Amino acid sequence: MNGDTVFTAMTPAQTSVSMSVDLGGLSMKNPVTVASGTFAAGREYSDFVDVAALGAVTTKGVSLHGWEGNASPRIAETPSGMLNSIGLQNPGVNHLIEHELPWLRQVGATTIVNVSGHSFDEYVNVIEALEATDLVDAYEINISCPNVDAGGMTIGTDPKSVEQVVALCRKATKRPMIVKLTPNVTDITEIARAAEASGADALSLINTLLGMAIDVRTRRPQLARGVGGLSGPAVKPVALRLVWETHKAVSVPLLGMGGISNGTDAVEFMLAGATAVAVGTANFTNPFATVEVIDGIAEYCETYGVKDVNELIGALEW
Amino acid sequence: MAGLANERARVLSNEEVGPGLHVLSLESPGIAGSIRPGQFVHMRIPSLESHVLRRPFSVYAHDADAGILDILYQEVGSVTKLMPHMSDGFVELIGPVGNTWNSAARRALIVGGGVGAAPLFMLTEQLVASGSAVDVVLGAQTEKALVCRERYERLLGRNPECATDDGTYGRAGFCTSLVEERLREGTFGDGGPYEYVAVCGPVPLMRIVAGLAADAGVPCEVSMEKRMACGVGACLSCVVDTVDGKRRSCVDGPIFDAQEVVW
Repeated sequence: MNGDTVFTAMTPAQTSVSMSVDLGGLSMKNPVTVASGTFAAGREYSDFVDVAALGAVTTKGVSLHGWEGNASPRIAETPSGMLNSIGLQNPGVNHLIEHELPWLRQVGATTIVNVSGHSFDEYVNVIEALEATDLVDAYEINISCPNVDAGGMTIGTDPKSVEQVVALCRKATKRPMIVKLTPNVTDITEIARAAEASGADALSLINTLLGMAIDVRTRRPQLARGVGGLSGPAVKPVALRLVWETHKAVSVPLLGMGGISNGTDAVEFMLAGATAVAVGTANFTNPFATVEVIDGIAEYCETYGVKDVNELIGALEW
Repeated sequence: MAGLANERARVLSNEEVGPGLHVLSLESPGIAGSIRPGQFVHMRIPSLESHVLRRPFSVYAHDADAGILDILYQEVGSVTKLMPHMSDGFVELIGPVGNTWNSAARRALIVGGGVGAAPLFMLTEQLVASGSAVDVVLGAQTEKALVCRERYERLLGRNPECATDDGTYGRAGFCTSLVEERLREGTFGDGGPYEYVAVCGPVPLMRIVAGLAADAGVPCEVSMEKRMACGVGACLSCVVDTVDGKRRSCVDGPIFDAQEVVW
């Protein structure tokens, strides 16, 4: 660039609060990561935030050979939220290994790789490719994407297929394995228990809520695919309720997400039972959101005399 | 990295310049000092909190010394319909985002349809400053919507060729017939063949001009705008279909070689 201005990425403020958490064996320096698909593999946001200062960077869902994704339009804004139907466009796991993960290592980021597949075998193959490297700190198994026809949510809505795919992934790695759940089910605790029983070290929730928007002038859906995943502040109460229900149903730690924009939102999720939280859509509105959430959690703890952020987990009084 | 900033920009003025058309002037010294023709800003309006997505706006003009950006916008959606009410306060701009036009041509034809005339103005300034022969064709629905014409006239020292759909100014109909003539006849200056066509406007216009340029054997660039979420290259919302697959209009574009776009 030819501008004279020097831009410095934002880092969290100093705090006396102990901020580190353990998410199913993944050691995080603070409880804040990003929602997969909103942050690429971190580099695109490194002008704004020090990605190594986040609890972890969760990378965009990756498949074995790469997917083209869905037709456009892929997004639509809705009240206090948005719909997306990207369709897991990605260049494949080898590209991630060669071009993205080394950069995350180089800058010192903790890395969660979100793993996607059209078939059980593909999930395992992606993990096997990543197992051959030392570039991954944990996996997030995506059995909840609403925007692909095979794999994704079709697996994550059936306890039997959840058990099968999680068990297969479990055999492929000893690294911490987080299973990401869809909210588009009647009883999320049934799915959560299936994932836990099959070897998940942690559960993340929620993926997006299946939704729709229509352009009345053309009488056509706003998204080329017709439907897409709803995210943003609009979904936060639903996400919070599902985290709370899941917290009561399983003993593995939870990574909570859904409309988190600030420290207060994050504290709500932790009180409901989340060990860590992810910032998603808020990154689009505010590229500093991740660090502001970290600072907001620390400020809350300082204000209320909480010395260790772990004291917040499941501390809902009711 | 890309050298993106999020700059708090003060609203200096916000004036209606045509039917549903407004020029927003912003004090944004960092971006005004570094922006290049074709790049854009990704705007958050803090008072519109229920709108979680920023909106991308091309930059019409900039004054690097004064630190001022001008944005031409049209009331088309939920946010742009509220924007005319902004008279003071601040917005946030991520920028400068994206790539830039090819400005090396010695004989260039610039084609702007509707508000698409705005993101071509800085390119035209650059071409004129470097001594290139530049001809400009503008199209709009009606005379009152030809809001960039006077700035182009001052820059070029003569009137750009214009077409209006309703025939109230210049040629009646689409501006593509003017483009066809220019490509056939060559530059106003010496009749020499064009080396470059730059076009921005509605997709059908860009597609037609791209085809005319290809037929004439002249390289052509287009500026693509898609619905956008992050504006930094992360979310893959704004992809354009190209011969190399789906590419991000925000950071791989917004300027694309017209031959690479799958129309």
